[in-house]
Amino acid sequence: MDSADTDFAFPALVAARLLLAFAPLPEALKYDQQLSSPLTSYSRLREGIYLFEHGVDPYSGGAFRHSPLLLSLFSTVLPLTRYTSPIIWTAADATAAWALLQIWRLRTGAKKTSRDSQIAALYLLNPYLFLPSLALSTSSLENMLCLLALMFACRGRASASLFSLASLLQLSLPSILLLAPVLLLNITRPVSRLALPRPLDASLTRTIPLLAEFFGYTALLSVASTLVCGNPLWVQKTWGASLTLPDLTPNPGLWWYFFTEMFDHFRPFFLMVFSVHLLIYVAPLCIKFQHDFLYAAFLLVGVLAVFKPYPTLSDPGLFLSMFAIFPEIYPYLRHPIVTALIHLHASLLLPLFNSLWLRQGTGNANFFYASTLVFGMGNGAALMDAIWAGLRIAIGELSEGYEVAQE
Amino acid sequence: MKWKYCWRTCCLLALHIVAASGELFEEDLTLRPLRDGKLEARFSFTTLLKGATPRDPQGLAEDDEAQHYTLFPLALGQILREHAVTELHLTLNAGKWNYDHWGYPDEPGVSTGAELWAWMGESVPASLDARWQGLRQSLAGLFCASLGHLDEQRTTSPTLTFQPEGALPNFTYPHQLRHATLPSEHVCTENLTPFLKLLPCKSLSGIASLLNPHKVFDADWHGLGVHVRYREGTGVEVRLAFQAVFDPVRYSPERRRDWSLRSVFDRSIERACPVARANKVRVELPSQASYTISPGPTDVVDNTATYTINSGEEALDIAMQWPEEDSFQYPDTSSAPPLTDISVRRNLKGTSQADARLTVELTNNLPIQVSAGYLEAMPWHLQFYLHTLKAQLDGASRDDLVDILAYTPPVPHSRPALLQAVLTLPPHATLQLTMDVSKPFLRYTEHPPDAQRGWDLPPAVVVPFAFGELSASNDTSAEESQLGSLRVQERAAVQGRRPRRMYTPVLLVDLATPDFSMPYNVIIMSCTLIALIFGSIFNLLTRRFVVVQVDPQSPQEPVPAQADADAGDKAR
Repeated sequence: MDSADTDFAFPALVAARLLLAFAPLPEALKYDQQLSSPLTSYSRLREGIYLFEHGVDPYSGGAFRHSPLLLSLFSTVLPLTRYTSPIIWTAADATAAWALLQIWRLRTGAKKTSRDSQIAALYLLNPYLFLPSLALSTSSLENMLCLLALMFACRGRASASLFSLASLLQLSLPSILLLAPVLLLNITRPVSRLALPRPLDASLTRTIPLLAEFFGYTALLSVASTLVCGNPLWVQKTWGASLTLPDLTPNPGLWWYFFTEMFDHFRPFFLMVFSVHLLIYVAPLCIKFQHDFLYAAFLLVGVLAVFKPYPTLSDPGLFLSMFAIFPEIYPYLRHPIVTALIHLHASLLLPLFNSLWLRQGTGNANFFYASTLVFGMGNGAALMDAIWAGLRIAIGELSEGYEVAQE
Repeated sequence: MKWKYCWRTCCLLALHIVAASGELFEEDLTLRPLRDGKLEARFSFTTLLKGATPRDPQGLAEDDEAQHYTLFPLALGQILREHAVTELHLTLNAGKWNYDHWGYPDEPGVSTGAELWAWMGESVPASLDARWQGLRQSLAGLFCASLGHLDEQRTTSPTLTFQPEGALPNFTYPHQLRHATLPSEHVCTENLTPFLKLLPCKSLSGIASLLNPHKVFDADWHGLGVHVRYREGTGVEVRLAFQAVFDPVRYSPERRRDWSLRSVFDRSIERACPVARANKVRVELPSQASYTISPGPTDVVDNTATYTINSGEEALDIAMQWPEEDSFQYPDTSSAPPLTDISVRRNLKGTSQADARLTVELTNNLPIQVSAGYLEAMPWHLQFYLHTLKAQLDGASRDDLVDILAYTPPVPHSRPALLQAVLTLPPHATLQLTMDVSKPFLRYTEHPPDAQRGWDLPPAVVVPFAFGELSASNDTSAEESQLGSLRVQERAAVQGRRPRRMYTPVLLVDLATPDFSMPYNVIIMSCTLIALIFGSIFNLLTRRFVVVQVDPQSPQEPVPAQADADAGDKAR
């Protein structure tokens, strides 16, 4: 409970993670479909770097869908070998946990709190987060950039937060959803005001230069990516993959089986519907939670966890770990145990049914699809509970005989 | 007697007419007994159109000049002119060619299924790919084979391996190669009938009369081929080939390997084709003695007996017997070395439907180093992880023996992968290549009707092109001195070798299938979940919160609300 605990806990957790990364287990996780998607897989990253170094354009085929920034980073500054990759990924996890810790401290306004070690542990020990990191999926790097963007926004360092968000956008197109809350978080304070909602007191015109700065960073990074590749083909292969879903590799999300069973005639329409569906959550959540944009960002991370085109376990993992920084809503969660049990159910069945379908051949695709539906229900339940609790907290404690309802 | 003379005069007249008109037809049959008791038969029908040149694709917009053919097959000629094809090779084969026991085939194109490759000149009025598609459709119609499936998902351009066998005339734009394989294509009588219709004598006379579909498609390996090439200074040559490997031991009740034309084909050659300038039957004589061959050959040259078919005499029925053998004893494989320079085996290992490992084993049977070109044109149904390609020589890692020349990555749903590499095989050694591959997941509509069968993957092509440590040098004096420095045995092994294509067997890959009965169910279940979550979230966001008094006895006022305006107490 005292500060000495915190000083030891964080390095201890990071050291444990590093040891685990060098264990033989990660070899078996390399090709696992829950932990890495075609956009984040480590083998595809290595394949792209190999082709790049041998003069073949990695974007001329369909195997490599990572951002050109990762291509240039890992082929020049940070080579990916058996020893450097676990260190890089552990460092990314440690940075993300530290960023989450800073967000918590800025939210409570205290330099050190008693829950610091708990927060770090909830991030570093979350199996949804450390398993993809052991599998060297680049979704860990995306989580790190997301938390860094939120942390800098909480500190008020707009440029750093917008640059992190622009980098995150280069890695994953659906994270454009986080633009609005991060922009608005830059002009407000992260201190928890869930219990005291009031209309937005900052002027919206202050976001316009920030928006311009964000587009500037995005353009700069896009030009840099085009220079790395030599042609703008990467746009269609990386960002276009989230919009057109060319690769139907199974993952814990809801899109892959839907579009596997889709007839070609309807494919463009439903791709458009699913993509626009992601965008329609931004405005309502930001308007409803205009008193606490950090919470709106948290909810949008939850929306991405459920509805993203190529999710891995990292995306719901980030959402669940971020519950740690909002302890004020815990009393108001309506069904936390149900959510936890559905998650337990789904997280045990997902790898089991995947293996039964693909490795043992005794199950078929429907088994795995059903477990992704249950997983989606679990994430949806967590998201709905978080929204309810965030709104309910505003009403406060009620005495006996009174209930809150919605009309 | 009178009719016989009349018949002979007509034949001579026909020959003169044909010779004067500039077309030449030759037919040839080669019979080769193999050491495992089988018999290889190769039919070759060559028609030469003297003085003709392939059509310039730049002139496709205008009408073609009139073409008059007497012996040259009109249907094929029209197709070649329509799509301005310079060189064409089509083979339809069934079976697996066993290089180790049967040696090199007389016709090198032994890939299982359909293989079509053509050199065509690029042009502006009609693009090469449009003409390639037209060529495929026309050939599919002509030969009743589903060559229309050789679309962009199977077409590549492996120029290093498939060099033109004839000359390529100088057109405005350079020639390009298009190559496509369909390993799951079958060959049957439906394909043989139009094939025979392309011959001047059809199957009525000459060597083609031996092609009895019942017997020929019962052979262990059979395949037909159409080869068109342009010979500079001579003309356009069309060669129709039929190759088959029969098993006389299987037919004979005493399990003897004696064969005759009557026993193998159930026919004999009654008369020669009148318009054939040359019609020969060549029988390769086995090296060991104690065989008899009847009737006596016209000519015996260099271990090959030649028969010429003359009209008007009795039907030709060649028979070869081994009178001292009771029943055939198969040679012991340990004492029967492979008959080819290198042996190749290719396998797909792994029990998962998500990823697998491709392994290729090449064994060099010669006492000298061999450099071989390796070609893989893999459809996107198997995706390579090229960074995992490892080479091992007898257990030790030797990645330096593989030199990747060109690689085109595959594009899902459209383009196949093309890998061209040069492998260096040390003498009497086995090189093992392994590579991780991933199996993609197809869309519902992309699966074939029998989806659980899997997909046939085309063969890899290996071309041993350089023998010995000699580099390809034009300086004969250097070559002589280098030859002199080799041991006698190695020198003998180097001389006489020429690059010949070898095909590996096809592979079968099973890809994960979705449940085909479920499109409606999947759509409604996924949409239901999405709608549930969407609806609940928007319910929570848009509906007003109110505080409700559930217990009417409760005396106190509820704690005043601090949230949304109007959330005052409302007793019910």
